[in-house]
Amino acid sequence: MTSQTELPIRKILVVGGGTAGWLTAGVLASRFPQRGQDGIAVTLIESLGQPPIGVGEGTWPTIRSTLKQIGVTETDFLRECDASFKQGTHFEKWVDGSDADAYYHPFTLPVGFEDRNLAPYWLEDPRARSFASSMCFQSELCANGLAPKQITTPEFTGLANYAYHLDAGKFGPFLRKHCVEKLGVNHVYDDIVGVQSDDAGDISHLVTKSGKPLAADLFVDCSGFSALLIGKHLGVPFVSKKDVLFIDKAWAVQIPYPTEDAPINSVTMATAQSSGWVWDIGLSTRRGVGYVFSSRHLTDESALEELKNYISARGDLSQNLSFRNIDINSGYRQEFWTRNCVAVGLSAGFLEPLEASAIVMIELSAKSIANLLPSNRGGMRQAARVFNDTFRYRWEHIVDFLKLHYALSRRSDSQFWIDNRSRDSIPDSLHAGLQFWANHSPWHDDFSHREEVFSAASYQYILYGMGFQTHPAPWLLNDRDRDLAREKMNETAQYAKVLTASLPGNRDLLSKVRRYGLQKI
Amino acid sequence: MVNRVVLNNQIHRDVRIAATRPTRENAEVNTVSVIPREFPRLVAHYPIFYTKNAETGRFEPSALLGFQPQENLFFVDGRWEAAYVPLQIQRQPFSLISRRAEDSAGKPPSLEVALDLSQTVQSQEGERLFLEDGQPTKFLQGITSMLSALVAGTKETYAFTGRLAELSLIEPVQIDIEFVNGSETKLQGLYWIAAAALKALPAAQLAELRDREFLEWMYFQMASISHVSGLVARKNRLLCGVTAARPQEDRR
Repeated sequence: MTSQTELPIRKILVVGGGTAGWLTAGVLASRFPQRGQDGIAVTLIESLGQPPIGVGEGTWPTIRSTLKQIGVTETDFLRECDASFKQGTHFEKWVDGSDADAYYHPFTLPVGFEDRNLAPYWLEDPRARSFASSMCFQSELCANGLAPKQITTPEFTGLANYAYHLDAGKFGPFLRKHCVEKLGVNHVYDDIVGVQSDDAGDISHLVTKSGKPLAADLFVDCSGFSALLIGKHLGVPFVSKKDVLFIDKAWAVQIPYPTEDAPINSVTMATAQSSGWVWDIGLSTRRGVGYVFSSRHLTDESALEELKNYISARGDLSQNLSFRNIDINSGYRQEFWTRNCVAVGLSAGFLEPLEASAIVMIELSAKSIANLLPSNRGGMRQAARVFNDTFRYRWEHIVDFLKLHYALSRRSDSQFWIDNRSRDSIPDSLHAGLQFWANHSPWHDDFSHREEVFSAASYQYILYGMGFQTHPAPWLLNDRDRDLAREKMNETAQYAKVLTASLPGNRDLLSKVRRYGLQKI
Repeated sequence: MVNRVVLNNQIHRDVRIAATRPTRENAEVNTVSVIPREFPRLVAHYPIFYTKNAETGRFEPSALLGFQPQENLFFVDGRWEAAYVPLQIQRQPFSLISRRAEDSAGKPPSLEVALDLSQTVQSQEGERLFLEDGQPTKFLQGITSMLSALVAGTKETYAFTGRLAELSLIEPVQIDIEFVNGSETKLQGLYWIAAAALKALPAAQLAELRDREFLEWMYFQMASISHVSGLVARKNRLLCGVTAARPQEDRR
């Protein structure tokens, strides 16, 4: 009889058939391709009764390497998930609410960023254009609605850094097909009626409606907000962040394009409103628009009216639109991996759609599980400890980064924006960061983890997009870097011109991909 | 500007096309798209690579004629110095354009021969297109069959390269060349057969390539690569100012 700690980890059961479930199954199954006697079994159980809610339509550039690793082609993905290219976010009316108030957070790093921090020299140049325009050629592409690549550019590579907007309702089924047909993932349709633990407290198996028990060595809880295993069964508490991030409700709607050749934005449009912000995302077949707001500051009715005003200002309210009301409970689990169960996706947490952190957190979680996967039950505790440390840091860090967008606003036209600046709503870590950045431009070393969800570059784009001022001591600057910064900014402007002349429109390229596909090389 | 008009046996009855072609405006290109049916003849003269079509991104075979844009080392002093001229060049100034008749809704558009009037190809001495009774001349019949061959060949091309790409048998290649005067060039945007992938190809797929004639085409194309050195030699001779001494094989 083998002891508990020597039990090998050979069977992984993913619970839930939404984006989190299939992405995690895909990452694990492609990472451990061996099945049968000498391999790992990956099974996913999906309940027929509960259709998954799409966690989001925005992704980060990490998704490209994730999809590539899973083994799907970019052509199939773009076609089947109605996906489009996303090159960043355009923030409107976040600073003071005026009509001219807008800035970009592009995915391509500020110029020279791999090598040194040139932001201080942009800061001291009074004639410079906006930070994103001066330091990144991509802003110009976004402003012109251009694609980040050409039809001759190989799959998953770009002339500018990019991610996708996708239809979450189609993404799951797309991944499912690949996981089942190509990666050997077992797919079970059944309802879970109970969870059984062994004497030691680990989960031994799930009891299903069909009566067939589902045993596994590791359970991945992708059951969404219901948090079937991590919450209901194992009782891991939920850490609410609603005192920092006030968003707790949303109205969402799908809007058709007025014509078949209407342009498709290649950024997420994020337009601040009285008590939250409106997302506006262009897929290849339709737009997804929604207003996330704070119910403590605004009623459902008023929010719906604001959203309708946003839509009609763009001339699109003529159709018969159906608005969906969604609750958001901002926060995350105190632990993500406990015993032989790890939570990924909404069961682990959700903050709000700003900066599209949901899908990237699924990717990072799946990757970490694969990297940490112990050989036997004895290694589980340590894997869980490392995983929890890393992801607690990541969630906290995302909370800080999202809060940054609100904390820097100068809007005072509603209580929502005023409350967002109150000191007790700002985490100490962010407060300390802001004090530091008053005299020091954000840089890699400001953060303690290597694989940051939002790096120093993102902080620069938001801080300087929002008009934040950094005043470094003169003795920390030098003429050599000053000249380099000037040179790089000129190059950036030149390169933006060259690319603007040679890149197709976002819609044009997507139509071509539909017709001809992209080459793998 | 290109000015293509559909041929009409009334309007174009007296048009004559210059006998000495290709003209400079057609010939001054450094790559030309070719079709697999031409490979057996092309392989005697030109290096053939795969390039990506700028509009579709799809692979198509192309003959390499020079090292810089508009440099055609086979076109010297107004003459084409090879026994075989690629169809894409030969067919100039004619092309096929698709036309949809007004009452043909639902039917595929018909292809008709068009002439590019912007090209300086009309002459007093040249070939006539139509006979007195309006029937096409032998010359025009030849052009029409050439254009049909190109249309059919283009379909075959994409079936061929599409399958090669699917099987990961195409890979990018960068060729660095140093000329006799010390100048250097890098050939980019060219692709060729991934030899290792071809060697490792399972028997069933190899048989499929053979049965569809693809394997034969691949070998023609691979063999043609040796002409890169011949092309370099042509360029070197130009750089040295030697134009008189031409190798035997290149004479018409």
